[in-house]
Amino acid sequence: MKNSIWKKPGSIAEAYWQHGHADFPVYDMHGHMGSHYAIYFKRCEPADVVAHLKRAGVKRLVFSHHEVLWGGLRNQKAYEMCRQFPEHLRMYVGINPHFPEYIREDLAKFEQWAPYAVGLKFLAGYHKIAVNDKAYQYALDFAQERGLPVLNHTWGGCPFNGGPIMLEVAQKYPEAKFFMGHSIYGDWEYARKVVTESPGNVWLELTAIPGERGIIEMLVEAVGSERILYGTDMPWFDEFQGIGGVLSAKISEDDMRNILYRNAERILGENW
Amino acid sequence: MKDFLFYDCNCRLGAGSAGEACLPDVQTLVSEMDYYGVGKALIRHTNIIKGALTNNERISEFLHEDKEQRLCGVWCILPSQCDEIPAPDVFFSQMKAARVGAVTLSPFEHRYVPCRLTLSKILDAAAERKVPVLLDAFAGKWAELYAFMKEFPRLTCIYLESVGKWGSDRNLRPLLENYEGFHMDTAGYWVPEGIRDLAEKYGARRILYGSGLPRYNHGNGMLQLRHNGLSEEDSALIAGENLNRLLKGAEL
Repeated sequence: MKNSIWKKPGSIAEAYWQHGHADFPVYDMHGHMGSHYAIYFKRCEPADVVAHLKRAGVKRLVFSHHEVLWGGLRNQKAYEMCRQFPEHLRMYVGINPHFPEYIREDLAKFEQWAPYAVGLKFLAGYHKIAVNDKAYQYALDFAQERGLPVLNHTWGGCPFNGGPIMLEVAQKYPEAKFFMGHSIYGDWEYARKVVTESPGNVWLELTAIPGERGIIEMLVEAVGSERILYGTDMPWFDEFQGIGGVLSAKISEDDMRNILYRNAERILGENW
Repeated sequence: MKDFLFYDCNCRLGAGSAGEACLPDVQTLVSEMDYYGVGKALIRHTNIIKGALTNNERISEFLHEDKEQRLCGVWCILPSQCDEIPAPDVFFSQMKAARVGAVTLSPFEHRYVPCRLTLSKILDAAAERKVPVLLDAFAGKWAELYAFMKEFPRLTCIYLESVGKWGSDRNLRPLLENYEGFHMDTAGYWVPEGIRDLAEKYGARRILYGSGLPRYNHGNGMLQLRHNGLSEEDSALIAGENLNRLLKGAEL
């Protein structure tokens, strides 16, 4: 243990090992809230989630509510949750293309929901409508006009949010900021292409990747750590597991800082 | 919080046949263990699905190269009726001589039904002697695992996850509740503070630190365990003491 990464004096890994946090805030850019049909969650409501964030030194979680994405709740509910925990919670306005009237009504409130609403969330692989379909046009125009982040669930080979579609959309809406949730998992060549062949408006997001041996290293090599954001799918994945996955990747501490907080601050500012 | 021994129960060594990620040799594995501060590892062969007996031999060779004795081996069993493995007494004594402490099985790749008809001789003996049985082949195959556990309810066994990481409490908890010899490893169990929840409900002795190497690295699960909110004693059990106890408890 004594020569391990956890014992390197003054390192981020040592700080986390000893204290459970470091000298910077972590921003988790991919979260959810509420129960989910496919899993048992003991901790999925705001109070428990925020308690977990605090333990792990996570300053902000940006989430979309599961039930909003399924069409059972409206984004107003997520806004109310953020107001209960203004220091830790921010929201993506969940977009379900099967409910076009909800999209227009909820986006009309976007400014009212400041500063909690910071962007939009698409889950095309579950909603079974491709992101380049006209069903998303209103929301994409909205994000384009305001330069908003759009967190997309992306997955390699998916006909709804796979690499080619995401590259096409990122090129078509150059002012919107596209966060590629799960980094187009498994299609690492397209993970590289969506960043390098888009007009500077794409970031890869790491949910489900930290801990996978060698993947973060490969993505940093391919696109640079300035283009990678940290996320966990909270309440799906433990923050210490996710942060541990970043800290145990064989990358520089500068890269770790970019991923865990600097890039989010570059996009959204230091006080958002 | 004190540091404790990490003894990895979920670690594959050697090259695979399909170009999958691998750690090719003992030196590479030990170097990874040192990088993350893992003291010991229970190793099974990456390519065991492509040959039980040949890869048992390779595990023995790896253990021979492990001069510091930081590794313990796993051998794969087969149905008794084809005489591919010797009688249990002989098999277990060979394991002991080779520093092999646990067994695994790969019924779906080796094309047999994992039930009493095929495996009762070797697994009844394993249960009697408390030889740990790794259930890596059943990862994500819940119906098959449930059927297997009904057939062999007295086993000392360790379920190793290698497929999903999206939390399987609805399937895991009934097994922990109903089979006292059923243990699980932490690789891929990424539920927020979930290790603590399971330990509080079923006891920390039922959970073992596993990395899932080479798919996963050692470090992410180590930090998750360290800050899961468990007592030092319970964390130490999960990190390494439980595996140590199970291996020492085996009457080979």
